[in-house]
Amino acid sequence: MMNRRIFTQDAAARWRTRFVAALQFVLPFLILGVLWELIVRTGVVSQTSLPPPSRIACKFWELCVGDHLLWRHLARSMYRLSIGYALAMGSGLLFGSLLAMNRILGDMFSPILSLLISVPTIAWVPVFLITMGLGDRTVIAAVFLGGFFAITYNTIRGIEMVDVSQVRAARTMGARGPKLFTAVLLPASSVSVLTGLRLGIGYSWRALVGGEMLSAMIQWGIGKMIYQARFWNDIVVMFVGLLVIGLTGFLLDRLLIRWLERVTVERWGMVTER
Amino acid sequence: MKVRRWILPIVLVASFLGIWELAAHLRWINPSLFAPPSAIVRDLLRLHTRRLPDYSVLLTHIGASLRRMFLAASIGTIAGVATGILMGASRIVSRFFDPIITILMPIPGIAQAPLFIVWLGFGDPTIVTIGAIATFFPIAFNTAAGVRSIDPQIVRAARIMGVSKTASLARIYLPSAAGHIMAGIKLGWARGWRTVIAVEFVAAASWGLGYMIWDASEYIRSGVVYGGILLLMLVYFAIERLLLETVERLTVRRWGMIRS
Repeated sequence: MMNRRIFTQDAAARWRTRFVAALQFVLPFLILGVLWELIVRTGVVSQTSLPPPSRIACKFWELCVGDHLLWRHLARSMYRLSIGYALAMGSGLLFGSLLAMNRILGDMFSPILSLLISVPTIAWVPVFLITMGLGDRTVIAAVFLGGFFAITYNTIRGIEMVDVSQVRAARTMGARGPKLFTAVLLPASSVSVLTGLRLGIGYSWRALVGGEMLSAMIQWGIGKMIYQARFWNDIVVMFVGLLVIGLTGFLLDRLLIRWLERVTVERWGMVTER
Repeated sequence: MKVRRWILPIVLVASFLGIWELAAHLRWINPSLFAPPSAIVRDLLRLHTRRLPDYSVLLTHIGASLRRMFLAASIGTIAGVATGILMGASRIVSRFFDPIITILMPIPGIAQAPLFIVWLGFGDPTIVTIGAIATFFPIAFNTAAGVRSIDPQIVRAARIMGVSKTASLARIYLPSAAGHIMAGIKLGWARGWRTVIAVEFVAAASWGLGYMIWDASEYIRSGVVYGGILLLMLVYFAIERLLLETVERLTVRRWGMIRS
């Protein structure tokens, strides 16, 4: 009985802190929005070049609920993101661990990797446009490349930083090859790997938007929505698109990566819960 | 050991380029889509010599991108350090800017381009503005983190000894956070460079490496596209090695803020 009351109090307190945190997060946007609205309404800046937030919100609602156009754009983008990111995750983890575990492979590829990392992902898009055409494949390739380098790089760093005595201990107890990898190296490097996954989803998301803007044969996608708005000089739709890109990028990080963190490194007690 | 470290990757790259060259000559791959290394070099040289008595087309492209990048990065650095110090020193400022930066940071520069094209038109103003915004975020973020990590005792000691509140910003916060600021500048300038190139794809009127690559890809001149990417690598390598590391050596390393 007593325990239960303490528990509910705890839960209530937790919800209260969460609510306060959410409020603190939203408040700056509210202040900015009100100021913005006032500036535009009083006519300091013309409404055609800077639409008031109320109109942006209306348009957002219209695209969301009215004709569902936003969801079609977003669904298409998510489809490309999930394929490209899944490929990047799989091959980045594989390639990274191979390079970290095999001295010769590491010596061979590490310098090349650090050179290629410096090229902006978006600069590969013209190459893909030439070699893979103007459609989905180019965008997916850009998403893949965006995530791949960050995941590979951080996987290598993570495995290289694993305590040597841990590896030796596992070896003397008979763990070798794949067993050593899954039982020791991967869990021990998971904090760095997760950093790679977090950076990777950000790069992939940005590459997705850029790729969609540059690929001519694509009709749907959140990047395409902004790009098409340019032909009508439709600033309101551009603002809605930018808002959705920012929010989705934020949510991908908070929901997907936080969930991954919770089921791996936090459960294993490798980082303290935030 | 040092030699061995370089031999393997060089052999790997050389054999890759050799196979590429051979495959293109034997028509295993289409040389107009996969321009072989010899064609890349030839195309770049041709671009360099085309208008040579007057000017070099290639170097003008590179110069245009570099000029935009330095302008954008300087504006972004000054604004970022100033905002970051305020964010680190004042809780209210940080509470205000933190959520805004969190939402705005994942928006790629190229997506902001249509909006700024409507406001500022094609060309330098749009590219430099977006580049400056891109540089601003990591620097503001890192500067704030650096200022927050300062031991409050130092600040109190300085205040007791009569340093005014405004003077403490420049004389205590700025030097103590220098290591973090330098890390932010490295991230921010890399981001600024990437963003300038990306925005040049859609918003440049006539010059810039990004414009050069994009223009070449529209006419399927693949040699120039691959060559352009090679140049992106080299230019960024030069910026990081020559400029940023020199600055780092002369400031934070000399002050002993990070180990050399």
